[in-house]
This record gives sequence, structure tokens and C-alpha cells, in this order.
Amino acid sequence: MELICLGLNHRTAPVEVRERFAVGTTLLGKAANELIALAEATEGVVISTCNRTEFYLAATDAEASFGLIEKRLAEKIQVDSSVSAHFYRKAKTAAAQHLCRVVSGLDSMMIGETEIFGQVKQAYQSALEAGSTGAVLNRVFQRAFSIGKKVRTETSIQEGATSVGNVAVDLAEKIFGHLKNSEVMILGAGEMSRTTAQSLVSRGAKSIFVANRSFDRAEELATEMNGTAVRFDDWQKVLQRVDVVISSTGAPHAIVHRQDVEQARRARKYRPLFFIDIAVPRDVDPAVGEIEEVYLYDIDTLEQLAEEARTRRQLQIEQCERIIDLELEKLNLPGT
Amino acid sequence: MDRWFLIAATLLAAAGGIWGMISVHHGKRSPWTLAWMFGVFLCQIGFLGVRGQLRAACPLMDHGEILTFLAWSLTLFYLLIGPAYRISLLGVFTAPLVVLFQALALTPGTLTANPARLVGSNPWHETHSATSVLAYGALALAAVAGVMFLVLDRQLKEQHLKSGLFRNLPPVRELLISLERLLWLGSGLLTVGISAGLLMPRTAAAWGHLIAAMAVWFAYALLLGIKQVRGVTGRRLSLSAVILFLLSLAVFAFI
Repeated sequence: MELICLGLNHRTAPVEVRERFAVGTTLLGKAANELIALAEATEGVVISTCNRTEFYLAATDAEASFGLIEKRLAEKIQVDSSVSAHFYRKAKTAAAQHLCRVVSGLDSMMIGETEIFGQVKQAYQSALEAGSTGAVLNRVFQRAFSIGKKVRTETSIQEGATSVGNVAVDLAEKIFGHLKNSEVMILGAGEMSRTTAQSLVSRGAKSIFVANRSFDRAEELATEMNGTAVRFDDWQKVLQRVDVVISSTGAPHAIVHRQDVEQARRARKYRPLFFIDIAVPRDVDPAVGEIEEVYLYDIDTLEQLAEEARTRRQLQIEQCERIIDLELEKLNLPGT
Repeated sequence: MDRWFLIAATLLAAAGGIWGMISVHHGKRSPWTLAWMFGVFLCQIGFLGVRGQLRAACPLMDHGEILTFLAWSLTLFYLLIGPAYRISLLGVFTAPLVVLFQALALTPGTLTANPARLVGSNPWHETHSATSVLAYGALALAAVAGVMFLVLDRQLKEQHLKSGLFRNLPPVRELLISLERLLWLGSGLLTVGISAGLLMPRTAAAWGHLIAAMAVWFAYALLLGIKQVRGVTGRRLSLSAVILFLLSLAVFAFI
């Protein structure tokens, strides 16, 4: 029995191809059984995320199975045979290595991301419950999960935030700890501030205030984020109560001056205040950062921190692959 | 025997501190800090137990005993607060101070070699000594939290965010909350200590010590009052906690 993997991902196929092969989370078990029938195999697991669809099989003849699945899948999904060019084919040890890379986040668009681990686990669980796994795939997947955990704990592949929004959230947590007691004000209802504020809300920020020159837009965003819209002229009053200010207006000059913050300090009882200035030109006068309890970060600093984290992750890939190879050598998995 | 307990406590604190610092340098938090500090605590209890038996009273009669009691109190508050607030790094910062106090206690001449048995001790005197040194333990730990805040604040301000120390330091707000609570606890205990001091029989020479202690108490009360009423920045609160603690050690010069 041989382990095989046929798949396509964000690197090999554009979204219009990937979406044809996408399988809904609730249908993964059923799809695994259909796959077994299509490939005339004994075991099967289907992994489907927004960036990849992969078919893992235990079959008697790898080469024959690849041809069979590609042909029958193309017929079933009604795409022409040129779609084969988007597939990668891996057999035996290469297939196991690939699964471990996927589980460890090494094959993801954002290297080291953690979501994929849960997605693969869910795909395997669905196949297991549908009865489409057996001795080969059970062992391979279970070992891949333990290798994935080892890679993530023994390296820094998932350390550091890799996007501006996540860097800002990490910094906010470094200042305020749990964000459940923190209030956030957004100045300017642009896309960047919306994304960053959403990251803060997802980590538990208590309340959101939105101030925008167009009050309608402020209301729209406030409704979307379950927050409160504020007239732009009133943002200084709100400054007295919030902990984090995300600024991203399109103003051609600074709108938050040292004096604005100085005036609010007494009412704030000199509590820490975190400014995230993601506007270009900058919205917050750099002199604001000289105030003792103010931590000011602009887009360049946040972008640089995200880039450094991405580079650090890239540098970890080799070490992660070494762990995967060593672990697979030790295991002597079936089908490899 | 008592000295061996103290030497063991000092070595354990030094080892725990160094181990913790190496871990932090490598970007990890040592899970053993608490265990090291618990070992230190047990050895300190051993020392204080033996000295207490020899004195037949609370062992706070010479500078060596006071320093060790202070180190014990500091360790005790770390063990109570560190795990509760998940500030294990507080142990890494506390260990050097414990080592310093105990090393000073071990300096020849600081610890009486043959402690005399105390006859007719006064309960107010013992209450004064014990609660005052406990207060100093809490205030010392507040100063340690203050140092941790100052380090983190500087790193955040200067945007030096890559070090293992930065990653392992607790959040600004949690540090400030712990610092303020320790100041309240220390000031409360100091209030009891000074009140007991006013009730105990004392010589004219003891007035200098008592006045210095009251000055310390007043300074801490003023700091907490300002914090409560007007508010104060984290940096000023931390700096005040560190400076006040260092100045307050002068009280022991009057003993």
C-alpha cells in the first residue's frame, strides 16, 4: 500500500481553479468516501481550505492512482484536462513530508500560521468519522500532527506578528494585557483602521468609538463593529477615556497634536495611552510620543516589525524541515 | 548551622537568578524560577528558625538578622504575588536583591556569631520589628516591579522589541497594578509597625529610628495619595517606588 497526495494550492493554481475544487467543511467526510471510489483506493482524506485542496490516499499503485483521480475528478467537476498542470503529485515519503510541512504551516501563504493545523485536523476527523481512513492514513496523520506540534514548539516558526494589524494588537496586549478592559478610538474610517480595530475587537477590546469627518461613514463603521459613532469635532473628549487610538485619516497634515493629549492627561489620570498611526502623511505629531505615558507607533515602524517577523520565520524553514526529516526517518510510516 | 542555611539560601537564589536570566536571554521563561525561590524560602525559614530558637524571640536583633528577615519577606511576597499574577519574571528580578541582602548579612561582623538569649521581650517591640520588616519586603518587591516597568517602558518607547526580556516581561498595566497593590500592602504593614513602635517602651536613642520610619511612612502615604487623587504616570510611580525604597533603607542605620 502506498501513500499518495494530489493537490493544488495558492502557488500552483489561481483562485478560479482552486474554487472549483473547494469542498465545504461539512462535506469533507462525504468527499473522502467519494474520493476512495473515484481512485479505487482503500483510504482517503480530503483537505480543503481557501488556499489549498489536497487528496490523500492509500492506494496499491501510486502512478495509476494519480492518472485515475485526475481524469475522474476532471470529469466530475467538468473541467478540461489542462487542469492537471495545476496539480502537484507526491508519493510515499514525499507525501508524508508534504503533509508535515502543511501541518507545520511551512506550505502556507503566511509561513507558520496556526489556522492550518486545526483545518487539517478537522479534515482528518471528518474522514475518520466517515470511515474513510484505515491503518495507513490514521498513522500518517496522527504522526504528522505530533511532528507539527514538535516543529511549532521547538522552533520560532510561529513567533512574532507578520501583519501590521497583528503587530499593533500584540503591542496593545504588551501594554494593556487582556484587552477586555481596553477602549479603542478610531480616527478616520478607512480600510486599514477598520482591519486593525477588528483585530483588537477579536482579542476582546471592550468598546470602539469611531470618529470620521463624514459622520455617516462613522456610523456605518460603528454599526459594523458594534461600537459608537462620534462627531469628528468631539474626538478630544473621547480621548479622555480610551486606551488605544488608531488613526488613519486622509488629512494632509497632523490632526493629533501634543496639546490635544496634554489637555486630556489630567482627566485620564496619566494612564498609558497607545497611538497607532497608520496614516500617510502621519496623523499624529511625533511630539505626542514624547509624553511620558504615550506609546506612539507609526506605519513604518509597524511594517518594519511585521517584516522582521516574516524574515525570522523564513529563516526557520530549514530548521523545521530538518525536524520533519529526522522524525519521519525514525518512524518508518506505512505507505512511505 | 544557621550560617549554612543562609549560605544555601544565597546560593539557591543566585543559581535561580542566573538560570532565569539565561532562559530570558534565550527568549524563554524558566518554569523553575518559582521552585528555586521556594527552595530559597525554605532555607531562609531554616535560618530564621535556628536564630529564633537561640534568641528565644523574633530574630531581628542584629543587622544580619534584619537583612535576612528582609530577604525572607521579599521572597514570601514574591511567592504570594508572582504565581497569582503570573509574573514569574518577577522572581528573576527579585533573586539578585535577595542575594544582595543575604550576602551583606553574611559579611563578617554583620551577623552575631553567638546570639544572646533575649530575656523579657516586649510584644509591642516584636510586633513593631516583624511587621516593619514585612512591610519592607513588600516595598522592596514594589521597587523590583518598578524596575521591571522602567525596563519595559524604555523598550516600548525606544521601540527595541526584539529581546527575550521584552517578550517575557508582563504587560505595562499588570506591572503597574501589582506595583500599586504592593505599595498599599507595604504602607499598611508599615502603619501597623510604626503604631506598635509608638506603643513599645523605648529609649531616647530609639526616637531617631522612629522619626525616620515615620518620614518613610509619610513619603509612601503621599505617593499613594497623589496616585489616588490626581493620578501619576507609570514612570514616575515606578521611579518613586525605587528611590523611596533605597532612601527608606536608611531607617536601619538608626537601629
